[in-house]
Amino acid sequence: MCHHDRYIVAKINFDPLSYSNYFCKYAKFREILNPELGTGIWLSGFVMGGSSVRDGTLSLGDFVASTKALVEKWEKIDVGSSLPDWQWKPRCKMDAQSEEEGYLALEGVYRNHGGRQEQIEDGNDFNDADNVTDDTWVQSSSDNVHVYDYHVVYSFSYKVPVLYFQGHHAGGQLLTLDEIKEDLPSHSLKILGESKWTFITREEHPHSSRPWFTLHPCGTSDCMKLLLEGIAEKDQQLQYLPAWLSVVGQAVGLNIPLELYGKNEIIP
Amino acid sequence: MAAAEQKKVVVHFRSTGNAPQLKQSKFKIGGNEKFLKIIDFLRRQIHQDTVFLYVNSAFSPNPDELIIDLYNNFGIDGQLVVNYASSMAWG
Repeated sequence: MCHHDRYIVAKINFDPLSYSNYFCKYAKFREILNPELGTGIWLSGFVMGGSSVRDGTLSLGDFVASTKALVEKWEKIDVGSSLPDWQWKPRCKMDAQSEEEGYLALEGVYRNHGGRQEQIEDGNDFNDADNVTDDTWVQSSSDNVHVYDYHVVYSFSYKVPVLYFQGHHAGGQLLTLDEIKEDLPSHSLKILGESKWTFITREEHPHSSRPWFTLHPCGTSDCMKLLLEGIAEKDQQLQYLPAWLSVVGQAVGLNIPLELYGKNEIIP
Repeated sequence: MAAAEQKKVVVHFRSTGNAPQLKQSKFKIGGNEKFLKIIDFLRRQIHQDTVFLYVNSAFSPNPDELIIDLYNNFGIDGQLVVNYASSMAWG
């Protein structure tokens, strides 16, 4: 029972996503069947066995390595002026900084929410693609600007990266979900309407302990498994986060430059 | 520019996992269309709303991406290979 007790403690402290797990089709089984998770979280920094990019998951060590690769690659490609750089934010514990604890942050992404996406709630004809595109950033009054911060945090329960995000007005006031919806692509609004608890929810940010919006990770490893299938094992760690970003980016309307998905040519 | 807009791209659909296969797997589509058009086309073809599309085992294209851009960056042997599966990331 010792295992069990530890598990509960760990879950309360470190896994805010557990609330929405109740609504998730796979999640409960995975957690119950894997008591190792509890001890893994308990001994923080301990890298669990059994995760491999082959099944779409990552170990903590792989996650950290993958974030470093992403930061480097992002700096090398031309991401345009509207996107800032990713930064690794180590978790400060007492006085020490831990190498493996922390998260990846992309902060200060500006979006003009005046340019609405096409085809919102449009169930009929998709053939007309001649509508206004949303990715032209127009400098306008500060009222129209939404500024987003995106954090990528490792989930010990799912062994995958999880996206946390938050938006604010130019003046600093936080955006409500309704205001964020104005920036979401139409396909995301549709999913949001259908699956309220397994897509975008508001949870406690594991590092800041404040409520952030997050994308539910229960389908992540399935998609990642597909995305990494044909990739040589040595490249999988490097390709993991770009591939993952392609999925989460389109869910939240964060446009990732195509160059990021190209062959990894990281020359030391 | 005009020439680029008129260019047609051959899209080769490949099913993975338990996704239904198409009788015809190659189609031509205007390069100036968005990837959304490919998503919707495939949904109609396999009569499934939940489908996950990805290119070259590398990424899942944004629906707003232009097909010609995808082809220019990730096309192989004159075609854009699009894999699809019945999995879903959300919902």
